[in-house]
Amino acid sequence: MEINYGPYAQDMTNILAWLSSSGVVQGIIIGAVLAFITFQVLARTKVTKINGWRTMYGFGVPGNGILLRAASYRLFPGPINVPEEAMYWTTSVAGAGNYIMHFPSGGLPPNDAFWSLTMSDAKNDFVENPIDRYFVGDRSGLVQNPDGSTDIYLQRSAPAGHESNWLPTPSGRFILWLRVYIPGAAILNGLYQVPPVVKVN
Amino acid sequence: MNKLILKYAYPLTFALLMLLAWVVYQHLSTGIMPLAVAAVIVWPTATFLFIYFWPRLILGVYKKAALVKGFGDGPIQINTLYTQPQALFADPLHVTLPPGSSPLMSYGTNLDTLYTVGCLDLSKGSQVLHVPDMAGRYYAVQFTDPSDGTNFAYVGKRTTGTKAGDYLISGPGSKGTVPQGMKQISSPNNSVLVIGRVFVSDDSDLPNAYDLARQIQLAPPSPSRSS
Repeated sequence: MEINYGPYAQDMTNILAWLSSSGVVQGIIIGAVLAFITFQVLARTKVTKINGWRTMYGFGVPGNGILLRAASYRLFPGPINVPEEAMYWTTSVAGAGNYIMHFPSGGLPPNDAFWSLTMSDAKNDFVENPIDRYFVGDRSGLVQNPDGSTDIYLQRSAPAGHESNWLPTPSGRFILWLRVYIPGAAILNGLYQVPPVVKVN
Repeated sequence: MNKLILKYAYPLTFALLMLLAWVVYQHLSTGIMPLAVAAVIVWPTATFLFIYFWPRLILGVYKKAALVKGFGDGPIQINTLYTQPQALFADPLHVTLPPGSSPLMSYGTNLDTLYTVGCLDLSKGSQVLHVPDMAGRYYAVQFTDPSDGTNFAYVGKRTTGTKAGDYLISGPGSKGTVPQGMKQISSPNNSVLVIGRVFVSDDSDLPNAYDLARQIQLAPPSPSRSS
C-alpha cells in the first residue's frame, strides 16, 4: 500500500537525493572546516611571542578590530583586562628538570600595582607542594643577587640556598602565567621583554 | 574532551583533512563542480563568521554559566554581583565547588585577585554601582560589551581612585538624568558583563579583601534621588 505524501514530498525527496549525491553537503562541510582552520591561522598572526612567552597587545580595547578581538578571545578565552589595566603572558615548559628565570638588575616587570608569576600544571591547575607556594611576585619576598638581578628557581625540589626564590613545579610539563597589573610604559610600548625560562644542568 | 582535542589538535586536523581529501577524491569521477562551488562559497563566508562571532560565542558561554549555573551558590540573578567563595580562593587545591556550579570562574590559576561578577540588563532602566572605600588597595571593575568583547569602561584604582563612590550605568536608550554626586557610565549595549577584581595580598588579608569585594554592589537608582 502506498501512502501519498503529496507532490511536494516527491520534490523534497529529489532535492535531498541530489544534495547527498552531488557533493554539495560535502562541499559545505569542507568549506566550514577550511574556514575554522583559516580562522585559527589568522588569529595566530596576532599573537606576540618573545622568549617563549605568548601575549597579545590591544585586548579588549574598543575599536581594536574584529580580527584582534577574535584572536584575543582565542588566546585567553574569558573577559580579561585592557593592556593599561593588566598584561598577561603565558608559556608552556616541557618539565622534568630545573629551570631559572633571570631578571637583570632593574628588570622586574614595571608596574603601578603588582606583578605575579603563577605556576600551573599541564591541565592549568594549581600544583601541590610542601611550602604551599603557588606563585611568586613583588609580595613574596624574592631575594636579589649581589649584582641586583633576581633569579627565580623553577624546579620540583627546593634549591639549596635559594629557597626564598623557589617556585615549585610539578614533575612534568607546566604552564606559567605572568600577570602585571597597571603595567608601566615600557610594557605598554612593547620595549619590556619577559626573560626566557632557561633549563639548567 | 576539550583537553583531548587541544592536546591532539595537529594530528586530529591532519586526519580530518585526509578524510576530506578522500571525499573530494571520491567525487572526482562523478563531477566535482557542486562540491567545489559549495566549498568556495562557504570557506570565506564561514571564516568571516567565525572571526566576527568568536568573542560573542566565548562570552555567551561565560554569561550562560553565570546566569544558569552560577559559580558556587546557584544561578547569579541578573543585575546582582557575586563574589567567588572565600574558601575556594583560600584552598583551591582541596576545596571543590558544590555540584551544579560552573567551573568557569575557578578555571586557571589566579591567587592575586578575588573575582566579583555579574550580568546587567539595562533595558528596564539604569543601575547604580556602589564601590566601598578601598583605602589604596588595588581593585578594578571592568565593564564588558558581550557582543564584541571590548571593555568600554572601568571603575577602580587606575581610573577613578580607591575612595567610595556611586556610578550610574545606563544603556544606549537611557534618557534619565544623573543623580547628584554620581558619575555616569554609558554602555553601548543593554547587556553588560561586570567583572570586579579585588587584590588579595596574602592569606591573612583574604577576609578583608573578601569583605570589601562583597561591598561592591548593584542597585536600581533610588526614586528620590533620580527625579
